[in-house]
Amino acid sequence: MFHFTAPPPLSLYVHIPWCVRKCPYCDFNSHELCGAIPEQAYVDALIADLEQDLPRVWGRTVETVFIGGGTPSLFSPAAISRLLSELRARLPLKPAAEITLEANPGTVDQERFRGFREAGINRLSIGIQSFERSLLQRIGRIHDDREALGAVRAAQQAGFDNINLDLMFSLPGQTLDQALEDLHTALDLRPAHISWYELTIEPNTWFHRHPPERPSDELSWNMHEQGRRTLAAGGYTRYEVSAYSRGQNLCRHNLNYWRFGDYLGIGAGAHAKITDAGQQSVTRITKTRHPRAYLEQAADRCRIASENRLDANDVTLEFALNALRLDHGFSVEEFCAATGLPFSATAKPVNAALEQGLLQNNNGNIGTTARGQRYLNEVLQYWLTDTQAHARTGKP
Amino acid sequence: MIDRQHVRNFSIIAHIDHGKSTLADRFIQICGGLSEREMEEQVLDSMDLERERGITIKAQSVSLEYKARNGETYQLNLIDTPGHVDFSYEVSRSLAACEGALLVVDAAQGVEAQSVANCYTAIEQGLEVMPVLNKIDLPAAEPERVIHEIEEIIGIEAGDAVRVSAKTGEGVVDLLESLINKIPAPEGNPGASLRALIVDSWFDNYVGVISLVRVVDGRLGRREKIRIMSTGRNFQVEKLGVFSPKPVGRDFLQAGDVGFVIAGIKDIEGAPVGDTITRADQPVSEPLPGFMMVQPRVFAGLFPVSSDDYENLREALQKLRLNDAALHYEPETSTALGFGFRCGFLGMLHMEIVQERLEREYDLDLITTAPTVIYEVLTALGETLQIDNPASLPPANQIEEIREPIIEANILVPQDYLGAVITLCVEKRGVQKNMQYLGSQVSLSYELPMSEIVLDFFDRLKSVSRGYASFDYHFVRFQAAPLVKLDILINTERVDALSVIVHRDVAQSRGRALAAKMKELIPRQMYEVAIQAAIGSQIIARTNVKAMRKNVTAKCYGGDVTRKRKLLEKQKAGKKRMKQFGKVEIPQAAFLAVLRVDND
Repeated sequence: MFHFTAPPPLSLYVHIPWCVRKCPYCDFNSHELCGAIPEQAYVDALIADLEQDLPRVWGRTVETVFIGGGTPSLFSPAAISRLLSELRARLPLKPAAEITLEANPGTVDQERFRGFREAGINRLSIGIQSFERSLLQRIGRIHDDREALGAVRAAQQAGFDNINLDLMFSLPGQTLDQALEDLHTALDLRPAHISWYELTIEPNTWFHRHPPERPSDELSWNMHEQGRRTLAAGGYTRYEVSAYSRGQNLCRHNLNYWRFGDYLGIGAGAHAKITDAGQQSVTRITKTRHPRAYLEQAADRCRIASENRLDANDVTLEFALNALRLDHGFSVEEFCAATGLPFSATAKPVNAALEQGLLQNNNGNIGTTARGQRYLNEVLQYWLTDTQAHARTGKP
Repeated sequence: MIDRQHVRNFSIIAHIDHGKSTLADRFIQICGGLSEREMEEQVLDSMDLERERGITIKAQSVSLEYKARNGETYQLNLIDTPGHVDFSYEVSRSLAACEGALLVVDAAQGVEAQSVANCYTAIEQGLEVMPVLNKIDLPAAEPERVIHEIEEIIGIEAGDAVRVSAKTGEGVVDLLESLINKIPAPEGNPGASLRALIVDSWFDNYVGVISLVRVVDGRLGRREKIRIMSTGRNFQVEKLGVFSPKPVGRDFLQAGDVGFVIAGIKDIEGAPVGDTITRADQPVSEPLPGFMMVQPRVFAGLFPVSSDDYENLREALQKLRLNDAALHYEPETSTALGFGFRCGFLGMLHMEIVQERLEREYDLDLITTAPTVIYEVLTALGETLQIDNPASLPPANQIEEIREPIIEANILVPQDYLGAVITLCVEKRGVQKNMQYLGSQVSLSYELPMSEIVLDFFDRLKSVSRGYASFDYHFVRFQAAPLVKLDILINTERVDALSVIVHRDVAQSRGRALAAKMKELIPRQMYEVAIQAAIGSQIIARTNVKAMRKNVTAKCYGGDVTRKRKLLEKQKAGKKRMKQFGKVEIPQAAFLAVLRVDND
């Protein structure tokens, strides 16, 4: 079925599952902290987990590392430092590999940032969400506007030049002016990267059970359109649905997801996708979700919550689901290299969407049109085959 | 063999839920037809669907031996009747096989129109009708009031009605005793030439058609050559017998007997309900009275959601048809819905049952168009056309006259709701024929266009009377009316499957309501959807569904694609019942919008 000549590039994701408080919109695997973080034990568990996974990626170089959460900045610089040296001792990291840490205002100061930098972190992703005090309160953040600004400045003063700011729009009660004002504040800080995404109410969140009053579709669309223009005018180029970079400061770790690269995932509830060019297989793995269970099981097979081999249909769908998020789209060669499949495996949905004017072909690069970008979920329907739809309903 | 004087052939007439099946089960139990272990609850309603809805669709029968208090043994043949307005012809054939009928009335709820209609059929055919009050164990039971009602409404003596509780068994033996005394033994001449009435026929995969028959005259034996009179075709009897309720083979059935016959008949049309069986070598000249070919009265298009399912749908219809002579179907092509079948049904319930069986038993996802009646069209050239699909109505300038089917509805309603029911009938273009005060109830008779019944009459009647009104109808005639075709245009293109035929006076308001309803039912999509209602080339209403602003998942990080996949699959599932029309996706509900415009 698959024919990989070489596996795609490899990244490493490390999950830190604790937060000071769970945000009402968050459906990630995060747990409110009670008492002290078992830092030492967790780093030990991560390393034990990684050691079990090593045979899956023997001899491969890691291009990027992303320490996400939760709130990884709750970990001390010393713990992060130990984590990174243990990783380096076991995995060949590419020289100048991008190593990102997620940080939340209210948990950091300049000294802490300096510590992270000394530990080897070279990119920060700061969860600002908004600079408007009342909105921050409404979405349950622990920080206020002053702390948000302070966190960014502290990071910059600590020497970080590759910083992403996470911002949201379409927040409960947000006006168009407020949304644009957030962007202007962010632009003034000149971060390398801005992730600007619409608040989505996910199942299994507090907001899903207690839906807040949201801006209308109309208003939210206006925020989106004017916000894009504001970012562009400020020198930030959009390269993915919600990702904007100043110059060439794209997030290489996320790019690897969107290009359907491989990634190891260690930590509670972490996800991995690994290609085995020897076995000609693509496997998805998830780890035990709950931190306590994970701490107990990290050294044995039980840490694996699920392990699934993908078939050709899964791979073509998941490739499209990721690659079409990029403005650039994908080339035939990129498809073949990342999926191990001939282009014919995805030609039917591609052609159908081309015909509808939802995709375009720019000299062999297949990407969304403006319309396709706007209705990406509709575009992706072409990749959901009837057999997949039937499998779900249990039909033959 | 029990002699003819000890045979009793009878039916049970009851409204849905009034306890017919439970009572039948009691009879079987008392007569020892089945052991305790075999006594699955409600033996007679054997199809799942029947059991769920409490409706008997196919008549079944059981022959029981009852040892009476006088020491003699009687053979009781209970002939089951279908219990719904759509199956009145089948009911009349079942009754024709009996000498008596038990009118079972819920002692708490009283008489309902369905029972009245069937009861009149029984009386017309000269049956002895015995009123029975069921559910007397209920605290809400009011036997005196209900006796009064039976006497007033149906006009039969009910003072000595047997009081039973089929559920507890109370009074059931008394009922059987009363039955053998009151219901006469069958007449008929065993020495005459064979005449047997086909009460019901159904298809069995192993033996072909099995027919339930009532031998009226003569004798029917194994290996004999028989003739089906309407078709003139001859068959050889392979097997015959009675249901006790398990099938038990016999060598012959004679005048007065009820039993089954298997004669190598390969399709259900070979043995139509109501037809007469005679002997091929000594045929009678006159068949038994009352036979007719059943005519479908309600039509709808059934289309598979996925065009790949077309052949599966055809096969499923073929299989259902094996057991359902009233189901008609022929291929239909719609520009909007692709390939499907135009199906004819006896009525709305019949349609719902078929639809449900296709989806449940054959696992098909279907789009159904709004049901319509059959119209007679006289063209300018003097031809008469039968139109069962609004889309195939000729252009207005080629039509001389359109005639619509008129039915007579008999409605029973408590006085409190009389005004509301009359208002409804007038709104539905009804013409009052009769009105009679019968105790606390009023019996109304209206002539109504059948198209209005097909729309939502039954639901509306139930809602304006809080469920207390009941009704029954039969076809009367075709009658000319000023009717026009109302079209719906989506993005300026006519959608054939959405056309309806309506009365000119309501066309404007119906068009506006329909366009508004469509707007409500068509979800926002990638493109703006323009909806128009038109009569001929004249647009009478327009509205539009705005395009959705965007549909894209904002965030996709952390390497977890499963959630995103789930979202897409959910979206796909939502589209399952949608049909692509150009760039627009139209949900199933929109094709039935016309049924719902009057409700809000």
